[in-house]
Amino acid sequence: MTDAATIQPPRSQWADVWSQFRSHKGAMLGLFVLSLLVAFVFIGPLIWRVDPTYVNPDAAKMIMSRNKPPTLDHPLGTDQLGRDMLARMMSGGRVSLAVGTVAMVLSMVIGSFVGLMAGFYRRLDGPLMRLTDMFLALPLLPLLLVLMMLFRDALASSLGPEAGTFLLIVMAIGVTSWMHAARIVRGQVLAIKEREFVLAARSIGVPSRRIILRHIMPNVISSVMVAATLGIAGAIITESVLSFLGLGFPPDFPTWGRLLYDGVEYMQLYPSRVVFPGLAISLTVLSVNYIGDGLRDALDPRIRGR
Amino acid sequence: MLDAATPGTDKPRKLVEITDLKMHFPIRSGLLRRHTGDIKAVDGVTFDIYEGETLGLVGESGCGKSTCGRAILRLYEVTGGSVVIEGRDIAALGPEELRKTRPTMQMVFQDPQASLNPRMTVADIIGEPLNEHTTLSSKEKLARIYELMDQVGLNRAFANRYPHEFSGGQRQRIGIARALALNPKFIVCDEPIAALDVSIQAQVVNLLEDLQDKLGLTYLFISHDLSMVRHIADRVAVMYLGRIVELSPRDDLYEDPLHPYAKALLSAVPEPDPAHEAVRQRIILQGDVPSPANPPKGCNFCTRCPEVQPLCHQQDPDLIEVRPGRYVACHFVKPEKPTAGSTGGIEAKERNQQGERR
Repeated sequence: MTDAATIQPPRSQWADVWSQFRSHKGAMLGLFVLSLLVAFVFIGPLIWRVDPTYVNPDAAKMIMSRNKPPTLDHPLGTDQLGRDMLARMMSGGRVSLAVGTVAMVLSMVIGSFVGLMAGFYRRLDGPLMRLTDMFLALPLLPLLLVLMMLFRDALASSLGPEAGTFLLIVMAIGVTSWMHAARIVRGQVLAIKEREFVLAARSIGVPSRRIILRHIMPNVISSVMVAATLGIAGAIITESVLSFLGLGFPPDFPTWGRLLYDGVEYMQLYPSRVVFPGLAISLTVLSVNYIGDGLRDALDPRIRGR
Repeated sequence: MLDAATPGTDKPRKLVEITDLKMHFPIRSGLLRRHTGDIKAVDGVTFDIYEGETLGLVGESGCGKSTCGRAILRLYEVTGGSVVIEGRDIAALGPEELRKTRPTMQMVFQDPQASLNPRMTVADIIGEPLNEHTTLSSKEKLARIYELMDQVGLNRAFANRYPHEFSGGQRQRIGIARALALNPKFIVCDEPIAALDVSIQAQVVNLLEDLQDKLGLTYLFISHDLSMVRHIADRVAVMYLGRIVELSPRDDLYEDPLHPYAKALLSAVPEPDPAHEAVRQRIILQGDVPSPANPPKGCNFCTRCPEVQPLCHQQDPDLIEVRPGRYVACHFVKPEKPTAGSTGGIEAKERNQQGERR
């Protein structure tokens, strides 16, 4: 039929995925913006060597340097204690991005796992979904506050204040935000489980765990992706809420959410105090959203190559 | 093919022995989801499949054909009975042993679109059974995949494509290649042609026949297309409401159906010759199929049978051998010589019609 030379060996699917991803303009733009943001928070401090917590010890000078608009010395201005906003944005972004990503990954992992189990194994469906309902019915903020109260000191003493708080915040946000993902995944699994290709896999003798991993997971991943991109934004905001209530990171420890809340009081006088952290959060969310969109399209072979 | 069609002379080996297979689906109702009844989709089916033959399984929609096929491969947990394939009772095996027996029996599905994972390439789909049951290196596996693609008439260059890029017939070929990957002996074809165009149906059926000749496969061919079954099957089992009403060699069944339901079913086959079509006498059954959740007392067919007698409402007929190689479940089809009351007359008429056609 065809001579052997023209037959390509099976390509890696990831090569296909990447080439499709590259053709998605929005996703590439999102990836570009996100890498800029990541570079800004991780490489930026190496170039802009200003201490984000530096407050001028001379009270008179400190008062003079408060709430400055953007100048050459302070490209993003200063805050109410005369601290450099650019440096604060950089060090705050590191925490915010890390919290957002890790908490999102955690909640997606828990949510997908619960959803897959509940959807695939009929016996687990009832108990797991009732658990999900229970978590949905919990008043989240009080729960988070109680969690923080109970565990913050213990963790801070064993892991150090920053790492301890980080771990606690990430866990708290992850554990309280997986329910929607679980519900979405369960619904999808219930639908896909009844498709004939799952029956075909069973007739081949594929064990359940590999049916889940090979046949069901790839088909529900797109809806998880959408939930995940929204989850990052949610996690960043929740972290700032916690910090605002004094139960997250210490008050002088900057995060984007924290900077935003601090700036709210001065919003009418110094709008730049709110605009920059808000812009950073929005850009992160938007770019992650576009990346998720592109990934979802790239992972679906029916859309790929169109 | 023809040796299998004349059983009794030199009986080939039985490959699959199905005894009293039952597949009931529980009905749960009420607030507490209590078990209030059963859908008796397959209710006591007994038959054998000989090595190398094609057994057609026909019947109207909802009579339990597909469920029967799936229960035989134990894609459902059967309610009762046994399915012995090569001396092993599939219905009673533990999960790991069942997994190891899977390579001997495979299935071709009805809807080629739904039976292929849209996110896997053709090579992945055909290679999946090899991954599960063999320890081939990736190079050997690829060689085997190409060999299978050649066997079913797919271009090797398509190995990297996804199912949505193919036509229905090609997709069904992928499904067949997957079923063949592990060199099975027994394949259940669950209406493999129902979702295809007529021109493609012929291609797929011919492919199935070629493969049978080459690889010595045994098929259980489930279909509601009576003319296609006549083309491919050696013996035909007619199902009604979860039970087999008649099991006969193909030619005998199509020439001279014995069970009243088989007669009615076969009278519905259209005749290509308009002259014959005009005189064709259809037996039109009255009423609907009873619910499999609540089958009638006595013979399952007693509510619609044109030749019903009081006995039919009381006793359930067994599937008995009434002629050599022909099994019928009817009180009034007696073993040997066509006799017995009202059925005799109609049978005679049927045969006359067949005679005229010749």
